[in-house]
Amino acid sequence: MQVTGMLTGARLLTHVGFPTSEVLGPDATEDQIQALIDKHKLIFVKPLFRGGVGKKGKAGLIGRARDLKTALAEKERLYFAEHRHGNAVAKANGVTFEAGVPADHEVYFAITDDTRFRAPTMTITHRGGVDIEELDKSEIASVPFDALTGLKAFVVANALTRIGAPKEIISPLVQHLPKLWELMHHYGMTTLELNPIRMLAGKDGRLTPVACDFKCGFDRDDPRVGRLGLPDYLFAADISDFEQEVNQLRTHQGQSDVFVINDKGTILAPTFGGGANSLVTEVLGDSAIISSDFGGNPPYEKMKAVASICYRHFLKQTNVLFIIGGKSNNTDILETFRGMGDALREHFAKHGPVPLYVVVGRGGPNLVRGMGNLADTLDSLGVPYRFFGFDSAISEVVAYAKQVDQWMRSGGRDEIARAMNISA
Amino acid sequence: MYRQGIASLPYYLGIDRLDQIATPEDRVCVLNILGGESRTVTPVSHAFSGGNVVFGTSPGRSGQVLKTPAGDIPVFNSVLEGLKAGHRFNTGVVYLPPSGVRDGVAELIRVNPDLRKIVIITEKIAVHDAREIRAMAQANGVDIVGGNCLGVADSWSRVRIGGALGGDHPEESLLKGSVAVFSNSGGFTTTIAQYMATAGWGTTTLISSGKDVYIQYGARDFAHGFANDPRSRAAVLYVEPGGYYEKDIDWSKPVVACVVGRWKSKLTRAVGHAGAMAGSGDSAEDKERWFIEAFGTDGVFTAETPHASAKGALVTNIADIPAALTAVMALNDMQPDFPPRGSLALKPWIANDQGLHLPPEVALPLVTAPDPYAGQITALSDQIGAVIARQGMKDKSGASVMDPKTQVTSVHGHTVLDLALQPLNAMFALPLVHELADAHDRALLDIAVSAEVNLVGDPILVATDAARDAGNAPNAIMAVAAAITGPRRVERALACAQALVELFAKSDLRDGRDEAFDISTIAVDDETRKLFLATQDEAEDPRPEAMLEAMAARGGRSVFLRLLQSFGERLSRDAILAAFTTTIAWGPMVRKRISRLTTETLPWYLRLYGVMVGATIPKEHHQSGSLWGIPRSERFQNWTMADLCCLAMTGKKPGPTEALYIQILIGLLISNGPGAISAQGAKGAVAADGPQTPERVQINKAMIGFLTHSGYSHGGNGFEGMAFLLDQFQGCSLTDPTDPAHGLDLKAMAHKFALSYKAEKRYAKELGQEVRALPGVHHPVFKGKPENFDPRERFIARFMEERGEYNIFHDFYRHLVRELFEVGASPYVFCVNIDAIIAALLLSVLWKDYQSGALSPRDLETAAFTVFLFGRMIGAAAEIDDHLNRGRNMDTRTPAAACGHVL
Repeated sequence: MQVTGMLTGARLLTHVGFPTSEVLGPDATEDQIQALIDKHKLIFVKPLFRGGVGKKGKAGLIGRARDLKTALAEKERLYFAEHRHGNAVAKANGVTFEAGVPADHEVYFAITDDTRFRAPTMTITHRGGVDIEELDKSEIASVPFDALTGLKAFVVANALTRIGAPKEIISPLVQHLPKLWELMHHYGMTTLELNPIRMLAGKDGRLTPVACDFKCGFDRDDPRVGRLGLPDYLFAADISDFEQEVNQLRTHQGQSDVFVINDKGTILAPTFGGGANSLVTEVLGDSAIISSDFGGNPPYEKMKAVASICYRHFLKQTNVLFIIGGKSNNTDILETFRGMGDALREHFAKHGPVPLYVVVGRGGPNLVRGMGNLADTLDSLGVPYRFFGFDSAISEVVAYAKQVDQWMRSGGRDEIARAMNISA
Repeated sequence: MYRQGIASLPYYLGIDRLDQIATPEDRVCVLNILGGESRTVTPVSHAFSGGNVVFGTSPGRSGQVLKTPAGDIPVFNSVLEGLKAGHRFNTGVVYLPPSGVRDGVAELIRVNPDLRKIVIITEKIAVHDAREIRAMAQANGVDIVGGNCLGVADSWSRVRIGGALGGDHPEESLLKGSVAVFSNSGGFTTTIAQYMATAGWGTTTLISSGKDVYIQYGARDFAHGFANDPRSRAAVLYVEPGGYYEKDIDWSKPVVACVVGRWKSKLTRAVGHAGAMAGSGDSAEDKERWFIEAFGTDGVFTAETPHASAKGALVTNIADIPAALTAVMALNDMQPDFPPRGSLALKPWIANDQGLHLPPEVALPLVTAPDPYAGQITALSDQIGAVIARQGMKDKSGASVMDPKTQVTSVHGHTVLDLALQPLNAMFALPLVHELADAHDRALLDIAVSAEVNLVGDPILVATDAARDAGNAPNAIMAVAAAITGPRRVERALACAQALVELFAKSDLRDGRDEAFDISTIAVDDETRKLFLATQDEAEDPRPEAMLEAMAARGGRSVFLRLLQSFGERLSRDAILAAFTTTIAWGPMVRKRISRLTTETLPWYLRLYGVMVGATIPKEHHQSGSLWGIPRSERFQNWTMADLCCLAMTGKKPGPTEALYIQILIGLLISNGPGAISAQGAKGAVAADGPQTPERVQINKAMIGFLTHSGYSHGGNGFEGMAFLLDQFQGCSLTDPTDPAHGLDLKAMAHKFALSYKAEKRYAKELGQEVRALPGVHHPVFKGKPENFDPRERFIARFMEERGEYNIFHDFYRHLVRELFEVGASPYVFCVNIDAIIAALLLSVLWKDYQSGALSPRDLETAAFTVFLFGRMIGAAAEIDDHLNRGRNMDTRTPAAACGHVL
């Protein structure tokens, strides 16, 4: 859950009274754009991405304009621009028009929870406007501070002094930056980054920090995010229908995030436990359709609902339904297996049977009762299966599931389809 | 701002050695002790730890207790209340929901000055709260483990605090040894301990750290306690990407680190564990590098590349941990703690190949599970046959379903179209064994039903004849026969089937026809044996011998019959029937396609089939030793179900074409899904008896339910199509409806009718009357296109064409729909529907007898109704058996609120 760019950023910063550059959205009229140019002489045209898009890879994706014609041309160029960094691809849908802020100083500022200190940590440098990885460490201050008292003015002052920041920027920053802690801490953010903050000179020569780019990450487990009233679509970037649907059921009782790994995969693996999830996803590779962690003792109804969604989206293409986890500590095997089995029965009844092989690797409370229940369901559906207990290595069971998938691909699926009297 | 704990650290840490993390002296208070998770986990922890929980809190539930095997744990509204009651504790365990965790921690810290440790089990705590919890604990000198963890345990002192390490049997996994475990994954903490035991390594302290952004007790804290713990000779770490917790740690003793999560670098969002997002420089690859550098090895330890040093080894798969640990410890001249326990090889516990022939690498043989699981699995396998969950079955069926698009119904996965092409006896078996019977089983079925059809000397014959004389339709006549075939008439046959199932239940017999099966392994006591023998009263019954002769003549094989014959005494008809049905049902039952209940009630269905078919044959044709002139031995040894059905309708053995037509007709009529009135009648009858006490359900009464729910509209209207065709072919010289050289101008006949129908329509319209619908033409689903087809009609037509079969009545229908359009009597070319096929085939079978005067129009109507009833009898059996196995008592009733009142 990330937000980048000034269109939303400016709105968020006003909650704590932090100065921002003037910004217009993609629906701005030509008159409004012209007025912005008239007022500020220079404007920046930036593609509007949803979700988190960092600075890296953004080269060429910022347009600058001093007249309407250029601004509109840049709008056309950048409206559906693509941003690639590593495996992450983001597609823009719209542009923003941001007022240029003339300044001699650019500041980088961020607050995040740093695992080295296990405390909220401010990172600041007066050499902002660039990737801070490019700077010398002596020019950057990373300072943890107490979460209960918050980011205090003296923390900012001390840090800026230590890295030798120009005197004229210290006082205005000390005055304004602590506000950002309020924004971050009280609205469910995990990270907040302003880069650059441009130091705009007033008539009296006094500088004011103006946020010119914005990036923040939200904690999806923090209800404080709701205070901002942000629309859902802001966070919907790159999330498939399946992910959106299944993650709506996310609560503290069972089921962490579910991700689509390969929507052309052939092994559907409801996985229990974060560790098992990591192992299984890694070993299955591209055969895996989803990566999931359904542990945490989900109750029957929830397990059934989650399984139904998984089946509805992916069972048709599935060769192996692979229910896998270690020896559970408190997840009730009977409840979870009953939920998944009943969902499968209902799916077959509603959408028709599919040729399938079921592999289970599991341990935990009510194990044999759970296996017996699932076996009864699969027997009644005519689906072949093999269940392994916790005394088989989980990695071996994963390898077995892959082997079954191979067999399914090379004729096994047809064979099962024939036995079930359905088409493959 | 932190209180100074261990002097060398720039933050607070109170735990100096790992053996201080979970000690026998620790006294525990559990917040939200009565919550769902704690309620199941805390009693196990408490008992395992010798009773270390002094009290728990649950607002509003003060005075209650949590029962545990080690005594009751008192519950208070708050921590303060518990303290005031005189309880003292140094360790808090938090099971509160995420939003309450921070406040719970604050409560523990503020009201209890003795507090030293908190274990937070809750997952999905907001980072906001986690950072404040960290700050509070640091300022007040309290160690915290978690959140999002499974707590801590000590295998030496047998203490478990917080979550469920070791599950519900901690003693199985928490084996005393020399290795400390620290894991980001709660589940894997136990799994790793269990894996290590396979190489002979036990544990000292086990810590599930959680994997939130804030790991309150992190790897560095663990490293400190590990260094100072003399019990721990080595450590195993399970680490996921995200965070710098493991960077630049000086491990004083050997360590095996397992880093998993390379795949996560492909993602851009947090996965699974909330903090496990690869940021910059803390990906799985980065962490692997940290450890490889710390251990001075050349790479990842695997079975093929055993990179290890005396300092440690890095693995990326937990299965490699035991071998890596042994290798590292060997370099330190240290031996395992105990002999290896178990192995990690693949050990399937439960499997069913569903009759498929799988390759050996997939079809791994079953392995006996360790106790107590082996015993539980054995108990499961004693459960022979499918176990089906009960549910409300109103308007639902597990047996049949109609595809609303094609209007084609399937029964147990076979469409009626496919079934129509199957031998009739296979169709009769399907509803009961859920599989298509092969030639051998079909032969058994033929004999079993043949033995029931001739009702000479049976009161049923008198009753059905009286019913016929009273002017009843064939359904009512069949119902009379079914009513008399009540529970007492099948009591012994069902008892025989039950006894056979019981005798062979644990025999590992897979196929009831297995010639090689050694029946000497089956011990039969005298009482059971007696059950199968013919009584004195049955001395005159010739059928047992006739059935056995027919069995021999048809080359039948039956393990069950072999056993019964080994008694060397005269068997009853019931016993032989039960042996036949058990032979047919055994395979599907052990493959769990059908339940034991179905197997044990099968004789009743077959007897009903026979009696109901027999009831449609008038009394005078039932003679001792022959039926409609067909001698018993011929019927038993050569006749099929199709022959019998045709005999009942026409009084003679059908020719091959007639038999095929009857088979197709019955197949098409088997079912229209659970919504059909006939199905509803059968289901309602089962529901009314109460399927949850299946032994009380009268299957014959359920058949009557179907019969009373069929009638002139539902079943009898097949005659309408025939009547229409008779009208059209009145007075023509047709002798053989299957001969394409019939010499009739069908187009002209159709054209003539179309014109008259058009005129009739116009006339009716002028009068404002409803236009009569033509039977066999048009369908509410298959309409609206320039030319329309009923896919069911097309299916049968194609099949007939492929066989070179011709049917003039069907051909006439094809001309008719075209001519109706040509003359403007229809807006487009209507489809010829399935009813037309039924009428055409049936009239074709009966045409010659009708022409000769042997059959009256009334007989034709009876035949049309009867063929429907034969088909539906099969479908009803499927619904009855399904509802009996799945349904709940009285589940077909409609709630009063859903009923309407009209005036």
